[in-house]
Amino acid sequence: MAKVDIKELNVWFKENHVLKDVSLAIKEHAVTAVMGPSGCGKTTLIRAINRMNEIIGGSRTSGAVYLDGKNVYDEDTNVYELRRKVGMVFQKPNPFPKSIFENVAFGPKIHKIANGKKLDEIVEESLRGGALWDEVKDRLNDSAFSLSGGQQQRLCIARALAVEPEVILMDEPCSALDPAATAKIEALIRELSEKYTVIIVTHNLQQAARVSDFTAFMYMGKLVEYGDTTSVFENPKSELTEKYITGKFG
Amino acid sequence: MTTKTKETIFFVALGVPTVICLLAFFWVLYLLSSGIGTLNWTLLTTSALKGGIFEMIVGTIYLLLGAAGVAGPIGVLAAVYLVEYAPSGRITRIIDQAINNLAGVPSIVIGLFGYTFFSRQLGLGVSLAAGWLTLSLMMLPIVIRGTEEALKMVPPSFKEAALALGTTKWRAISATSIPAAAPGIVTSVILGIARVAGETAAILFTSCVLITRGLPKSPFEPVMALAYNLFVQIVALGEPAQRVFGTALVLFLIVASFAIVAIILRTYYRRRQPWLR
Repeated sequence: MAKVDIKELNVWFKENHVLKDVSLAIKEHAVTAVMGPSGCGKTTLIRAINRMNEIIGGSRTSGAVYLDGKNVYDEDTNVYELRRKVGMVFQKPNPFPKSIFENVAFGPKIHKIANGKKLDEIVEESLRGGALWDEVKDRLNDSAFSLSGGQQQRLCIARALAVEPEVILMDEPCSALDPAATAKIEALIRELSEKYTVIIVTHNLQQAARVSDFTAFMYMGKLVEYGDTTSVFENPKSELTEKYITGKFG
Repeated sequence: MTTKTKETIFFVALGVPTVICLLAFFWVLYLLSSGIGTLNWTLLTTSALKGGIFEMIVGTIYLLLGAAGVAGPIGVLAAVYLVEYAPSGRITRIIDQAINNLAGVPSIVIGLFGYTFFSRQLGLGVSLAAGWLTLSLMMLPIVIRGTEEALKMVPPSFKEAALALGTTKWRAISATSIPAAAPGIVTSVILGIARVAGETAAILFTSCVLITRGLPKSPFEPVMALAYNLFVQIVALGEPAQRVFGTALVLFLIVASFAIVAIILRTYYRRRQPWLR
């Protein structure tokens, strides 16, 4: 069974029909890349999974997103628990204006997962998970802003890991980073997929090809093509995908 | 007209008001400095009963801190509501406009309202408490607008990150937006204090008397204040203005010190908050 199963999903922002009948089954413990030109609805698609579209006024959603078989849009869904299970990393690194430790400890504290010694352990484990521990272990009380952009993004990944999520959504996590920092994050994404289900939005084709097991291509709010990354890149079924991959538009 | 003539005209047109402001400032400074002569440590620490101004200084500070204690929490919560929760619509626009209007109400009218409502209707009489409430009406618009500005400067990404971790909206705001806006909030409260520090009309009928036996022992007793004392000395007692310059200077220093603290805080935190740069 798919970990995340999206069925006939439609999203509107006010009058703007952003997602049109998107259906997509996402496999567990794999990296799925969602690519497409700007404004194609890829960010809206992943934000529909943890219901983050709702925080913007004027959004409306129809269709269903099943997480382990349960529709997250059901009325009895606890949206806070949903967002704990479905973590998110944003386009620009957005650490809190707090210390490195406090950034990672924020989620566990909110969800009362741990405190005291256990909390220290979770923070260490999460920072290791974010491939940042060795760089920051001696300065956990420094401000998160003292880190470089790439480190900040890995801190944000660690922060998301600290609440023990199952799915991690990444919205163009490398678009604000230099190539070296990008390479580190990409390696990390591969590692994460052993334990988590990762869905990454990117408009960088090489990145999609490098990190993902499956690739979805979107255009104008519709899902154009979806399959395992090798066949989408080497043997696209749709002419539109072919054109996008070969750089004829986008 | 040649470009050069135009240039000269504008230079004069813009320069003259600047010079007028500077002259006015130095004139005030000159007047105040003539108060230095009458100022000494004994005057500041001696009871009014013996010709000092001790109770007026402490009374003024009591009034200001109490008013901040009322207007601070109410203003901050109102601003949080307006920025984070209020749906944009007619009612919000009306509230918004009402806050602007409150800022524009003449202080004598506020004083009159305070007298009829807090002193008479609520039975607080001429007391510190009535003064706090009346002054807080004048501080509120400053605190609300300042806090709103501070909250709007906080990048939405902090709140978004907290929400994505599964916090409630209130938790996201209270744990990320408000702490990040805290320096701006504190600054706005201090500026609110500075705004009403020299206020006379608002406390004229509501909380001040010319002389008390010592400091007020409860919020329901009247209080002495520097601004009120200046007013009475000159208008009611007909003292020559020069005799109260010392008191005026003390009041000026209190107002100025609040404003300076606000500026220092703002500069300090601007350096520590990268998103403000």
